[in-house]
Amino acid sequence: MKIFKIFMTGFIFLGVLIIFAFNQQEVVIKIKGGMPAIPVALPKFIVYSDNPEIIKAAQKIHEVLRADLKFSRVFELVPEEFYSYIKPLDPKNILFKDWESIQSNVLIVGEISSSENNKLVFTGSVYDVRSGRFIFGKKYRGGVKLVRLIAHKMADEMMKAFGEKPVFTSKIVFVSDRDGNSEIYMMDYDGHNQIRLTFNKAIDMLPALSPDRTKVAYTSYRRANPDLFVFHIYTGKTIPISTKGANYAPSWSPNGRKIAFCSSRSGNHEIYVAEEDGKNLRRLTFNKAIDTSPDWSPTGREIVFTSDRSGSPQLYIMDAEGTNIRKISYGGTYHDSPSWSPNGDKIAYVSRVENRFDIYVLDLRTNQIIKITENNARNENPSWSPDGRHIVYSSNVSGKIQIYITDYDGQNTRVLTSKGNNKMPDWSY
Amino acid sequence: MIKKLIVIFLTSLLVFLVLFSCKKRVEVKPPAPPTTKAEEKAMPVEEVKETPAIAKPKLTEEEIFKAKTLEELNREQPLQMIHFDFDKYDIREDAKPILEKNAEWLRRHPTVKILIEGHCDERGTEEYNLALGEKRARATMEYLVALGISPDRIKIISYGKSRPLDPGHNEIAWAKNRRAQFVIIAK
Repeated sequence: MKIFKIFMTGFIFLGVLIIFAFNQQEVVIKIKGGMPAIPVALPKFIVYSDNPEIIKAAQKIHEVLRADLKFSRVFELVPEEFYSYIKPLDPKNILFKDWESIQSNVLIVGEISSSENNKLVFTGSVYDVRSGRFIFGKKYRGGVKLVRLIAHKMADEMMKAFGEKPVFTSKIVFVSDRDGNSEIYMMDYDGHNQIRLTFNKAIDMLPALSPDRTKVAYTSYRRANPDLFVFHIYTGKTIPISTKGANYAPSWSPNGRKIAFCSSRSGNHEIYVAEEDGKNLRRLTFNKAIDTSPDWSPTGREIVFTSDRSGSPQLYIMDAEGTNIRKISYGGTYHDSPSWSPNGDKIAYVSRVENRFDIYVLDLRTNQIIKITENNARNENPSWSPDGRHIVYSSNVSGKIQIYITDYDGQNTRVLTSKGNNKMPDWSY
Repeated sequence: MIKKLIVIFLTSLLVFLVLFSCKKRVEVKPPAPPTTKAEEKAMPVEEVKETPAIAKPKLTEEEIFKAKTLEELNREQPLQMIHFDFDKYDIREDAKPILEKNAEWLRRHPTVKILIEGHCDERGTEEYNLALGEKRARATMEYLVALGISPDRIKIISYGKSRPLDPGHNEIAWAKNRRAQFVIIAK
């Protein structure tokens, strides 16, 4: 009986604690670290050429590959000073015991030679240090201008070899006013190769890159109305998708055949789905409230979106046919811009608390929320990297709006843009 | 006897009247005597004044309106903008008299077509603000329609937070930026 009483008291106490916990405005749990990274040795590449351009290119590939691996959170680089403790690398006779002694698990051997037409050939060989086994190798031939791409391709192969999704050749589309007007631009994941895609002399906004990275769905005011278009990056073709009412916030289905978007063509903001050429338009939501910001699940079976049907903007998930709508956001009064993680288990989104916008990640399995940004600014439009380890977003923390990348735990934040205002990033699959 | 007298009297009166009317003649006045000599020193001096400036033909209000380009008209802003509360799109009490004035102007110029732009402050997310801006424009349109303005004359558009009036980051700027603005697109 006494034991029962103690048990009951404990139970009530626990209940009060739970009620107290759920009464809080927001539940914030910061998690640092994560999976242990694989230590990789990346010694200087061996160059079989006296051509200074080839030597420079070799240095560049090494530098970019190093930056990619460091960024990955899958690998970590063995400190370079450790290389001086052992004998220099001889690709013909690798002393794996040496490489093991400086605590590397994986060794990347890079060799570069010149090829005809001022091109170079890069050979990357990857070894498991403990067993001394060859894991994989890759050979790339290209002009010296393509060194960044060669390095990114090699880094992607590293990801694939270790069971991860490639990230480094992925692209980010975004909006910039650097040329005086809001236009769509595209860049590499690391902020290099920023190129302009649209020339509409009108507001262009909220771009979404197709999974095959050849098309951008976006909204343009070029016809004095926010219309949705699909721009074919490599043919120059632009196809109107929806031009009645306001049309925006496109999201490509994972197979690249459909686009979910928000339209007020009925007189109210609802979620629609159309084929990538605008055909077979279907309405998914039927509600007097604002329904907007759709984003597909990686399986293509569900869509997350924003709705203020409960009185304030909250996040909901529905089946791709518009059925089975359920609310997923909790705590706080203003959530928007959901982005479904490529692994399907998390939703990144924006939450407003006292005029600040921060990026949060909701774990759909545990219902835990992690706060990603904490900088007393407006952080917006999060979008996941193809491997779900990084998030790109915009922030006005430096005054102007710029595009930032951070890791899944809010670590390693870096800025990618500097000219003008840059916002609304979308990271390709 | 009396009867005879009356008959005689009336007959003589008739004869007299007939005779009198026949005798009436137009009297011709004699010609005026010719003026002999005018006093030259007594001529009045006439002041010569500049001819007054030529007046332009007076234009009616309608003619003035017709002469203006759309740009000139929009610069004058005959239709005043209205403002909204934070996160809200319902028409505020202080906006109602402004909309009534605007409706009155639109009734006076029945050919005018307008675009209502809905705008938001920066304290909303990009996507939600686009929807909120359109809700503001639509609420404004519906208010004008309720005042008798045909919906065929009104188009709406939302700019979300992309076109702030005041670039500031404070309550005053935000209050200014939450607005519905009117643009004349045809007249």
